[in-house]
Amino acid sequence: MTRWLLWFVLAPQTFLLAGWWRDAGLPPLDVAVLVCLFLAFFADRSALPGLLFGAALGRALVDEASLPVQVLVLGVPVAVLLPLRRLFSAQGWLWQAIAAAACAVAVPRLAGWCGRLFDQPSASAELDGLAVMWAALLLPPMLAVLRRLPPFLAFEETA
Amino acid sequence: MRQRPAAFPVGLYGTLLLALCWLTLPTAFAPLERFALGATCLVPRLLGEWAGRPAAAAEPEAWRLAQLGAELAARLQRQDVEGARALLPGQFEPWFCAVREVAGDGPHRGGGGHPAALRLAVDHAAVAGCAPFVTKGDALVGFLVPPGTGAAADDAPTDPARVHLLHHRAAAPVAATLPLDGGDQLRLVVRAAATVDPAPLRADLWDDPYLAARLERGGHVVRTLALDDESPVPGGLRLGRTRIWGYGGAPGEATLAIGVFVVPPIEPRALSYVVLWRDRRRAGAAAEDPPPPVPARRLAAVVRDLPGAVHGRHLLVAGAAVPDGAAVVQDGIFLGTARGLAFGMGLVTSFAASRHRWSLLLLPDDDAVRPRELDGEVVSAEGAEACVRWHRRASGGEDERLPPGQLFTGSNGPHCPAGLWIGSVEPHPQDRSLLLVRTLALAGPRAAEVLVAGGTP
Repeated sequence: MTRWLLWFVLAPQTFLLAGWWRDAGLPPLDVAVLVCLFLAFFADRSALPGLLFGAALGRALVDEASLPVQVLVLGVPVAVLLPLRRLFSAQGWLWQAIAAAACAVAVPRLAGWCGRLFDQPSASAELDGLAVMWAALLLPPMLAVLRRLPPFLAFEETA
Repeated sequence: MRQRPAAFPVGLYGTLLLALCWLTLPTAFAPLERFALGATCLVPRLLGEWAGRPAAAAEPEAWRLAQLGAELAARLQRQDVEGARALLPGQFEPWFCAVREVAGDGPHRGGGGHPAALRLAVDHAAVAGCAPFVTKGDALVGFLVPPGTGAAADDAPTDPARVHLLHHRAAAPVAATLPLDGGDQLRLVVRAAATVDPAPLRADLWDDPYLAARLERGGHVVRTLALDDESPVPGGLRLGRTRIWGYGGAPGEATLAIGVFVVPPIEPRALSYVVLWRDRRRAGAAAEDPPPPVPARRLAAVVRDLPGAVHGRHLLVAGAAVPDGAAVVQDGIFLGTARGLAFGMGLVTSFAASRHRWSLLLLPDDDAVRPRELDGEVVSAEGAEACVRWHRRASGGEDERLPPGQLFTGSNGPHCPAGLWIGSVEPHPQDRSLLLVRTLALAGPRAAEVLVAGGTP
C-alpha cells in the first residue's frame, strides 16, 4: 500500500521536476520516455496498469491532452517494448539508449496522432531532434539511478 | 507453461482498451478524471502557498484594454450591420448579437463537413420578435430555429437561441440569382451540400439548365432572390461564389460542368457575431429594446505557475467548480483556458501553449482597415511569443495579407466569450498565412477571474 501511495504522490511530480530542470538551463529531459523505459524493461508486470495510470496523471499536468490520451501515449510504447524486455535489459547501455531514442520519437508521434484522431492537439506532439539525442544519452544512466530510489525501487521486477 | 500469464500483460492491454472506451465516452469518465487530476494537483497547490502573494494587473493597462475591447465591438458592429441594412425594408432594425458556441458534430455537421449550427448569447424568448433570417455584412448567414421545432424541439424559451447556417441539412433552400457576364442572369435554388461535397452549398433547379451546364469557370457571385413580397428572405443578400466541378476539356475546349457549388463568404468556425433583424411589425410598434446578453459570472481565483510554466501551464485555484474551457482573465488580459478539476482547482493552458483551433478577432491598428474574424491555431511558440496559422476565408482573400493590430478571442464556447485581449499581432514577414502574436509574459502568482457562462449551457 505504501509503495502505491508513494508512486501516486511522487511519480506525477517528476514531470514537474523536469520543468524545473529545463528552466535551470539544463538539457531537456523527457520524463515520459524515462517512465516508458522503466515500465517496459524493469517494472513488475502485474503492477503495470497502476504504474501507467500514475505516470499518465503526471503527463496530464504538463500537457493539454486529456488523461486517456496520456495513457495511450505512454502505454503503447510500453506494450511494444515489453516483449523485448529480456533483450534490452540484459544487453546493457547501448540497447537502452536505442530504446530511449526510439521512445523519444514515438511519444511525440503518438501524441500528434492521438491529438488528430481525438481532437486533442497538444504542444508535446512537436518532435525535437535535440531532445531525442539527450534522451539517448541521459536517460539510461538516469534510469539506473532512479531504479535504486523510491518509488521506482518498490516496483522493480525481481528475477 | 506457468510463465505464460506473466508474459502476456493482460492488465496493460486492458488499460489501453479502457483508455479507448474513456475517449469514446468522455462524459462518463469525467468525474474520475477531475478527481484523479485534482488529487494529483494538491501537492503543487500546497507547495504554491509558499510562492508568494498574488499580484494584480496595473490599473492603466486594464483601462486601455477595456477601451480596445469597446473599439473592437463598435467597429465590428458597424461593419456587420451596414451591408444588409440597405437591402432590407425600413421596418427591420438590426440587433448585433454575440455567438456563444459553434456546433459541428453529429447532426450539426453540414455541407462540405463544416460546422453548421450556432448557439447565440441570447435566449429563444428574446429573439421571438426577430425575422427568421440572420445576416453578417451583406451576407446571409442562416436562419433562427424556433423553440419546439427541429433541433430545438426540446428547448425551453430560456435556452440559448439556435441558428442553422445555410449549409445545415435542416436549413431551408434559398432562391437565388447568378448574374452572367453578358448581363443575363440565371435563377437557381441554393441548398446544403452533402458532408462529403467539396463546398458547403450546392446550386440546384436552374431555370436554364443548358446554360448552367455551360458555365466554364467559377467565381460568380450568387445572391438571394425575393420571389414575392412574402418571401422569407430579402433579395440581394450574398450567398457566396460559385465553384464548378466538371470534366476538364483539352486546351481551348469547354469544360463540361457536372456540379455547381457555392462557397459562402464566411468561415463558420470564425463566427463571433451575427446580426438579427427585429421586425417592428412582428414585435409591435412599441417593442422594447432587445435585452442585453447575460454577462458571464466571474469567479475569483489565483493562478500559480507550475514548474516549467514558461511553457504555458498553470495551476488555477478557485473557490468553486471550474467548467472545462472556461476563460481565465486578469483585468481584461486573457491568460488561457482552464480544465476544471476537483477541489476547486483547474489547469490553465495559455494561448501560446495551446494547439487547438481558436476563433479569433483581429483589430487592426489602422482605423481605416476593417476588423477580421479569423480561425487558426498556434503552430509554435517561444516563451510569450506565438506563431499562429490562420485559415483563409472559404472564398476570396486568397492573397490577403493581414494588417498589424491587436488580437482578441472570438467565440470559443460558452465559457470563453469574444473580446478578451490576447496580445499584439503582426504578419509574418515571409508567410502570409502566419501571424506573430506577442502576449504578455506574466510570472508569479496572480489574482485572476474565471468566466462562467450564466443560464443553461
